[in-house]
Amino acid sequence: MSEIREVPLKPAFNQSRQAREAEVMLNHIVDDFIDNPAAMTYFYDLFRHAFIEGKALDREGPGIGTTCIQVPEELIYAAGGTPVRLCNGAYHYDQVGADFMPAKSCSLVKATLGRLHSEKAVPDVGKLELIVNPTTCDQKKKAAQMMEGMGYQVYDLDLPSAKDNEAAREYWRRVVKQLAARLQKVTGKKLTRQRLREAMAKTSRAQAAFRTLHNFRRKAPSLILGKDVFLVTNAYFFDDIERWSAAVEALNAELAQREAEAFSAVQKKAPRIVFTGSPPIFPNIKLPLLIEEAGGVVVADETCSANRMLYDMTAVDEWLLSHMIESIADKYLKPCTCPIFTRNDDRIRRLLDLVSTFNADGVVYQSFAGCQVYEMEQRSVAEALNKAGIPMLYIETDYSPDDMGQLSTRVEAFLESIKTRKRQARA
Amino acid sequence: MSKLRDAVNNVDLKRFRFWFQLAAFVLFVYGGYLAINLGNSLPMFSCGYIRDGRAGVCYLLPLQHQLARPWPQLFSYAGVAVLTGFAIFALWFIVLNKGWCGFVCPLGTLQDWLTSLRQKLGIRQSGYTHEQFRRLTWIKYVLLALLLLIPLGIGGGLWSHEVGAPFCQICPGRMVLPLFVGDFSQWTIDFSSPGKIVLTALGMGITGLFIVGAFVKKRFFCFFCPMSALHYLLSKPALLRLRKDGSKCTRCGDCYTACDMEIREIADDVTRKEIMTDDCTLCLKCVAACPEKGALKVDFANITFFESTEEGFIKRMNKGIRK
Ligand code: SF4
Ligand code: SF4
Ligand code: SF4
Ligand code: SF4
Ligand code: SF4
Repeated sequence: MSEIREVPLKPAFNQSRQAREAEVMLNHIVDDFIDNPAAMTYFYDLFRHAFIEGKALDREGPGIGTTCIQVPEELIYAAGGTPVRLCNGAYHYDQVGADFMPAKSCSLVKATLGRLHSEKAVPDVGKLELIVNPTTCDQKKKAAQMMEGMGYQVYDLDLPSAKDNEAAREYWRRVVKQLAARLQKVTGKKLTRQRLREAMAKTSRAQAAFRTLHNFRRKAPSLILGKDVFLVTNAYFFDDIERWSAAVEALNAELAQREAEAFSAVQKKAPRIVFTGSPPIFPNIKLPLLIEEAGGVVVADETCSANRMLYDMTAVDEWLLSHMIESIADKYLKPCTCPIFTRNDDRIRRLLDLVSTFNADGVVYQSFAGCQVYEMEQRSVAEALNKAGIPMLYIETDYSPDDMGQLSTRVEAFLESIKTRKRQARA
Repeated sequence: MSKLRDAVNNVDLKRFRFWFQLAAFVLFVYGGYLAINLGNSLPMFSCGYIRDGRAGVCYLLPLQHQLARPWPQLFSYAGVAVLTGFAIFALWFIVLNKGWCGFVCPLGTLQDWLTSLRQKLGIRQSGYTHEQFRRLTWIKYVLLALLLLIPLGIGGGLWSHEVGAPFCQICPGRMVLPLFVGDFSQWTIDFSSPGKIVLTALGMGITGLFIVGAFVKKRFFCFFCPMSALHYLLSKPALLRLRKDGSKCTRCGDCYTACDMEIREIADDVTRKEIMTDDCTLCLKCVAACPEKGALKVDFANITFFESTEEGFIKRMNKGIRK
């Protein structure tokens, strides 16, 4: 007699709501466009594995979660850990996280909390030994205790909010040194000069690859679409850094070839857009996607899920441990254009420079509903751009797909107005 | 042409400076033995007390002697000597601007060597706080004023002649640089008069401070150097210039990290185009440490010959990382 065992019926992961959401977005990113670079396959597959099939990502060393770009990853690597950026872009987790935050809160924070609260959440990066939470916006600040309530170890990384101040530099350097001490406790490994050097080499390779990619986007007509670049930089959140760098280098090689062949990924007159504001994080690549489906191209960005995370590089004068840590600390504070700082002339200057050096025609400014800091900076940024004669579209949105139709109308109208302007300018 | 420009922008500045400074040091400390003589109006501390070896003399020495002439002479024929000396000094200076400090001055080079020694020993650097910096940065002007007024006072008979070239008595150059030609005679206290006792004793103290200071803090002495103050007063027409394009600057502070003189403006000031400050030594380390193309550049007679580039930055950085 054969034994009949009750097999609990567990739906496959790819049937879940979160997987469906990711799949819909990834299909748009991949299938709505012809001529995707072959080297993008690595990234399409990565997201498919991680988000749709729910596969675990193999990572070395204790996982250290980070919730903002100001956590020095070099220190984590040097202490033998692996950083994982936890900022999340899923509408599904946004809804889960809604229990923790007031109604009118930022989708990103809610989704990040929602993911941490969910079982078997994706991307599956394994156990987190520590979450390092920089004190950036109020919502992220307050999220720390909620994460602790879920059973995580959370470390508040006290980011000064007036970065121009000399005292802030000094203070931040101290804060970063304290973090280094804590990381060593968590991993049990000593942070030495040699290990920090090796870690910096990793980061610097990744940054060099990113900068090369960034530079290819200066070319007009464009060699690559922004939706792909956002996917690339989003992968940096959780991918193995060496594998990521190699994949970006392969992509760069392909773009070099495209350039040699005078290939063009877009129509010649496609309006060139600089994207700024609240960060697009997979699966919420909604807005960049809408821009490019409407015939525009995102040529550069000023967001913390891409440029702001990878662009600025560290210089070291004396290769002694304490000075290296100080230089690294400076890199995470001084050039940062995060809107949580008291004043933000740097962000405006960076935007103006991006528009001019990337030959952009306009700026799209995304603000997640409930993100006060981006909402508050909108006015000054709009004024500065206006003064420079650069059109800007301000869009307030969240992770829900409900406003897609309305957004696409606005985006199309904006791109149309840019085209008209250009035509008039030529006439 | 563009290949050449890339090669210059990718230069390993650290290495280039090391060899350039070494060559300049040898020239100015030992060139005299080869009968090289570049006059006595040099805009840096090629010390006059290096008797035979020197290939030219630090302008501060003759300047103090000239100003100490009795006033009737000073305001007649001796005045001509003062003016020609000054004119030659200014001509030398105008070519390199403060580049004399970053690349040529033996006393500056010596401080860089002490810094290298410290780095080799793995001892960390010290620096000033912002407040200390602001308070101390005036000292060089005070020294310059004294250096001019004391000799004038001597010439006017206001005080006695015995202090001679007063700044030289307390200048570390006088005691340290002759050592390189085996001359230890400056390491004595001059008991010929009370004034000399005080000044030479002070000089010894300052020399000790110089050695310790330069060991723990990069370019410790340059911060107080009256020559540097004099430079700055004349720097308007100079040909070698450090320029900044604030629109390209991210204020990342990489240049500030590299700056031996802890000049914050180099990173933080995004409005000024002429970014050389009075403490600057035109060592160009900031340009080499800047990752933004064209944010910092060096012009000679308005022609840019070295500028910050991403490629150069990455090359130099990787060299440091992989060492
Ligand atoms: S988008 Fe705004 S509210 Fe949300 S995490 Fe970023 S800064 Fe905070
Ligand atoms: S002692 Fe100093 S000021 Fe006098 S000549 Fe020598 S280096 Fe110049
Ligand atoms: S500032 Fe330094 S380098 Fe320049 S003259 Fe003075 S001692 Fe020499
Ligand atoms: S290194 Fe360059 S970009 Fe950075 S602060 Fe200095 S000048 Fe600006
Ligand atoms: S500002 Fe630049 S050139 Fe001047 S001392 Fe500092 S690093 Fe050297």
